[in-house]
Amino acid sequence: MTKDTKNPPIDRVDGRLKVTGGANYFADFELPNMAYCVLVGSEVGRGTITSLDTKKAQGAPGVLGVFTHQNMPPIPGWDAPVGGEADGPAPKPKREETYRILSSPKILFDGQPIAIVVADSFERATYAASLVKATYNKQAARTELEKHLSEGVAPKGADGGNYLRGKADAYQSAPVRLEANYTIPIEVHNPMELHGILAHWTASDKLMIYAKTQGVNATQQAMAQAFKLDPKNIHVHTEFMGGGFGMGLRTWPQETAVVAVARKIGRPLKLVVTRSQMFTLVGHRPYTVQTINMGADTNGKLVGLAHAATAETASYEDFTEATVNMTKFMYDCPNVSTRYRIVRLDRSVPIWMRGPGEATGAFALESAMDEMAHKLNLDPIEFRLRNYTETDPEHNRPYSSKNLKEAYQRGADAIGWSNRKNEPGSQREGDWLIGYGMSTGVFSAFRWEASARALLKADSSLTIQSAVTDIGPGTGTALTIIAHNVLGVPLNQIKVEYGDTSLPKAPTQGGSAIVSAVGSAVFDACTAVKKQLTELAIKEGGSLAGRQADELIIADGVLSVEKEPRKKVALSELMRANNLTVIDKSADSKGGSEQSKYSMYSFSVHFVQVRVNPLTGVVRVSKAVSVADSGRIVSPKTAASQMIGGVAGGIGMALTEEASIDHRFGRFVNNNLGDYHVAVHADVPAIETIMIDKPDPIINPMGAKGMGEIALIGFAGAVANAVFNATGQRVRDLPITPDKLLRKLT
Amino acid sequence: MNQFQYTRVTTPKAAVSAISTGNGSYFLAGGTNLIDLMKREVVVPERLIDINKLPLATIEKTATGLRIGAMAKNSAVAESELVKKYVPLLTMALNAGASAQLRNMATVGGNMMQRTRCAYFYDTAMPCNKRSPVQAGADKGQTNGPVGCGAIGGINRMHAIFGASTKCIAVHPSDMCIALAALDATVNVSGPKGDRTIPFGDFHRLPGDTPQKDNTLLPGELIMSVDIPTNKFADHSHYLKVRDRASYAFALVSVGVAVDMKRDTIQDIRLAMGGVAHKPWRLIEAEQFLRGKSATEANFKQAAMLAMNGAKGYGENDFKLTLAPNSIIDALKTATKTA
Amino acid sequence: MAEYENTGGKSEAPNASRRVFFKQSSALAALAMTPPAAMTAVANGLDEKVAAAFEQMPLHVEINGTMRTLAIEPRVTLLDLLREQLHLTGTKKGCDHGQCGACTVHVDGQRVNSCLTLAMTTEGSQVTTIEGLTPGGPDGPLHPMQEAFIKHDGFQCGYCTPGQIMSAVACIREGHADSPEEVREYMSGNICRCGAYANIVDAIMDVKKGGARV
Repeated sequence: MTKDTKNPPIDRVDGRLKVTGGANYFADFELPNMAYCVLVGSEVGRGTITSLDTKKAQGAPGVLGVFTHQNMPPIPGWDAPVGGEADGPAPKPKREETYRILSSPKILFDGQPIAIVVADSFERATYAASLVKATYNKQAARTELEKHLSEGVAPKGADGGNYLRGKADAYQSAPVRLEANYTIPIEVHNPMELHGILAHWTASDKLMIYAKTQGVNATQQAMAQAFKLDPKNIHVHTEFMGGGFGMGLRTWPQETAVVAVARKIGRPLKLVVTRSQMFTLVGHRPYTVQTINMGADTNGKLVGLAHAATAETASYEDFTEATVNMTKFMYDCPNVSTRYRIVRLDRSVPIWMRGPGEATGAFALESAMDEMAHKLNLDPIEFRLRNYTETDPEHNRPYSSKNLKEAYQRGADAIGWSNRKNEPGSQREGDWLIGYGMSTGVFSAFRWEASARALLKADSSLTIQSAVTDIGPGTGTALTIIAHNVLGVPLNQIKVEYGDTSLPKAPTQGGSAIVSAVGSAVFDACTAVKKQLTELAIKEGGSLAGRQADELIIADGVLSVEKEPRKKVALSELMRANNLTVIDKSADSKGGSEQSKYSMYSFSVHFVQVRVNPLTGVVRVSKAVSVADSGRIVSPKTAASQMIGGVAGGIGMALTEEASIDHRFGRFVNNNLGDYHVAVHADVPAIETIMIDKPDPIINPMGAKGMGEIALIGFAGAVANAVFNATGQRVRDLPITPDKLLRKLT
Repeated sequence: MNQFQYTRVTTPKAAVSAISTGNGSYFLAGGTNLIDLMKREVVVPERLIDINKLPLATIEKTATGLRIGAMAKNSAVAESELVKKYVPLLTMALNAGASAQLRNMATVGGNMMQRTRCAYFYDTAMPCNKRSPVQAGADKGQTNGPVGCGAIGGINRMHAIFGASTKCIAVHPSDMCIALAALDATVNVSGPKGDRTIPFGDFHRLPGDTPQKDNTLLPGELIMSVDIPTNKFADHSHYLKVRDRASYAFALVSVGVAVDMKRDTIQDIRLAMGGVAHKPWRLIEAEQFLRGKSATEANFKQAAMLAMNGAKGYGENDFKLTLAPNSIIDALKTATKTA
Repeated sequence: MAEYENTGGKSEAPNASRRVFFKQSSALAALAMTPPAAMTAVANGLDEKVAAAFEQMPLHVEINGTMRTLAIEPRVTLLDLLREQLHLTGTKKGCDHGQCGACTVHVDGQRVNSCLTLAMTTEGSQVTTIEGLTPGGPDGPLHPMQEAFIKHDGFQCGYCTPGQIMSAVACIREGHADSPEEVREYMSGNICRCGAYANIVDAIMDVKKGGARV
């Protein structure tokens, strides 16, 4: 691993299960005597339930129970004072309200569950749910962020939502200035798999859960807290998750409610929410309004930069994200200020969505960089290079690694940046305008605490275990490669077991941190196995007695002396000679003091070519190149897939995705996949991905940093910049739909 | 979804007879819209008459043109060599609609019968006169949710700019019907009172005071087939669909163009638009203007301007007042390009 | 052995002769009482069995090569029948409204959205699901399209994958895989939120060019 050798692009280890329909997602499990839950949602955005008729539903065929705030079984752990844990009931923001599912007639957001209907079949539960009728004392729902911007509050935290380096207003005195407002609409994660849960009380104090969660350990903890159980009595399984993108980063109230109802009913229960409920019950990317003020000198050097963001949150919970953070350290600028505020609205609470706040912020900052480059008549890459920084100006410390200049160059070469004209609107192909754009992305490279276990058997097969889920990035595949690299066990003899609380504890899949965190634990566990093997071999009487450990290498199931390949012993033989059936090593792994000495980030650069129809305002992304600078690439094939996935998500973010609310009703009008436009096949061109693939010498033993977020962060800005290059028109509120562009073009 | 009676019929006569036995009965063809509406409780039928086994899926050449059976699947029509050869506009329009899977399910008759995709119609918590008509004696199972028009003053980006009323500004969502309207098709129906033929332009209607009625079918009538008269448009047809993503989305605006060209001159032309009205919107004035004219951008612009007579925006859909004429020009340019 | 395969293991297995009353031969005549009337009876406190009598109907359908004789409520979709009653869970529910393609199966060789297909309408039809694509079972040899999806990494979370593969096989059979552009258009009914589109297109083009029988 210390050598700079690139990793093999192996097929996804769970590929066969996924292509045969053999991969079991939570709703695919069959439990004995299972019954079905359906949630009834509020039809008003704010108010109080004045009457609730459940009689018809209760009398409908097959119905086993209807649960409302009037008869909801208790959730004992929630009766305690609210602690503010994200996995419990919503922590209460100061002076505002509390949301505890089915505990009160008060309606805090549209779609809030007002009843859980349980029946012996899905059809019967669904029909009975339609018979639940409520009347409300309705109040006007405050759902429109732009009307309540002045009500922004500073989130709790060290900097109170403010950051300052140098002078806050320095941009005002710069010779070239830009002030621009950018808007991101509500976006919804919309993984293809619907949210829900299977809950099975296998004993009065024992619980089996099949969840749609990005972290089985987190779900286990949340349920232990809610039901005052020993976590050991709660078994959570999520081997396969049909996409999360952040919506599975917490345990949602309706999951806990179903578990409570399952206990009451005395049967295993299955909840699968509707696609419409995915818009209100499992978070979203918050509507965010941003202002960038930028000043530069005539040489294209930044003088001052100010970035302010205001985002929506719920009335009952403060959600915050790192929207303005990139501005603090991305460019060399002596005077930087940021300001972040949240507004509490009558909306369900947001949750981090792929690339989270950084993607929102990058759209604003990288659009502004493009706008300023245009004002300076500079190539946008040149402008960025003139403000490039090799050290982190926010924390005044080195980056653990940064190869962004190389990324700019390679991406520019691949897209054919030299074909770009700096003069907007100057390229045509037939009736279509052509434009090029680029943008940078950056995201923290975390290394969280994680555990893993490695079991090498005498037949030299290796099993790797960790509770981590694989929501799609290819975690199992990456862990296989890491284990293979350390122990030399052939790839097809390595099995990774994951996604279950019976396995060693792991962090929640998210934050682009899993290869770094869990991969390090696997690395350490396998290293411990290797150490024992080496010791057995070189001990007195061992097959390689007298040799030093560092003379040995391990490959293809054989331990050998590197310089004398004939001096070797097969791992299986070594274990047999020592009467070992298994070598079983566990490791707890986390970063050390390097974490505070270095700033650790993954970087990306996105390049696009767009075609714009000036008559219809239609934009098509015709070419895309995404470059990742995220350390050593552990699993080249799945890493490339992460990057192309970011492009597809980025095209949606840039051009098509927006969840629209009719603010008169506080209610979504496009809460379905027909009207909320996720990019389809036809929207996405062939994509070139480029991996810088240089190990980060600091972050972890693999030298690997994450890429799930950087695949998306910045992409929307690249599209907006390309649209400007094609048309000379700047759209600052996403998505760039034909109507918006047409208004500017005509 | 509610429980309903399910009856499978194998002859048109049995279908017509079955549907006439009571209120709240619906024909079930491909189901791509009806099942969707039932899942959302927008339509709550007492009874479904499954007509999928009716022998009405033939596509054939007749003395006067093409006859397409009402139960022919959208994909079968689009792929039909006869259709591709004689009415390519229909193939183009069909292929612009929905997805390959839905086109395999949806039928010609069902496509004509599909309801608007207006969000307020679909959400029983929102006001909609189409779903919940004010009139007394409205069909059972349709008085569902608050009355009024949510789209007026609401989110009406997708809505009509032509022929709307104070009761309803919804649009008809079909692509296929734009082609059929342009091609002067006729609809053959069979009902309790016998058979009749409806010109395509009269099949769908404007909302007026009765937006619950999408079309002029009488109770119990079954669509049997559609006739498309012989034409000379095969070499110069184009269907332009402007939408929010590149595929699998309803039209913001669509334009169907069929032209009979002689060198640069437009001998004859048919123009219809989708996404702009409660029915497929024929551009008669623009057609009249272009007949005999040469295919120039100036003439296209003039025609597009004429086509916009009477157009009215409702706020969010004001952009269609620009998008529609631009799309007409764009579609005309493409259609009149010499092959 | 139960007359109707899908009712055997249920807690309240119906008396088939009573509850499956709706024989096709006597279809209309048997309707002395409509289901809404039955619902009213329930609301009025009458025995659930009154309503239950109207619930199920017989269905004969061939699924993955096996003829099935089933008793189902007419409102049951093909998707829910496959997943909840026949435990063929490879077919996925992504939207339940024909807007995502995760539920794509073949009915009489045509790809359709099983979520919008009432199971009753498949009477006498042949249904193929992802489980039926590999006659050798999950451990047997894979279909060329499955191989290609693995080779090109045409998936990430894997949830839309069965639908993508069923659609991809149909795309080639229909003759709509002559270019990447055509594949993109004809595969647009299958949404992949992970965004594996480019790899899926590569997989389909690879199979198409390879000329393997699909």
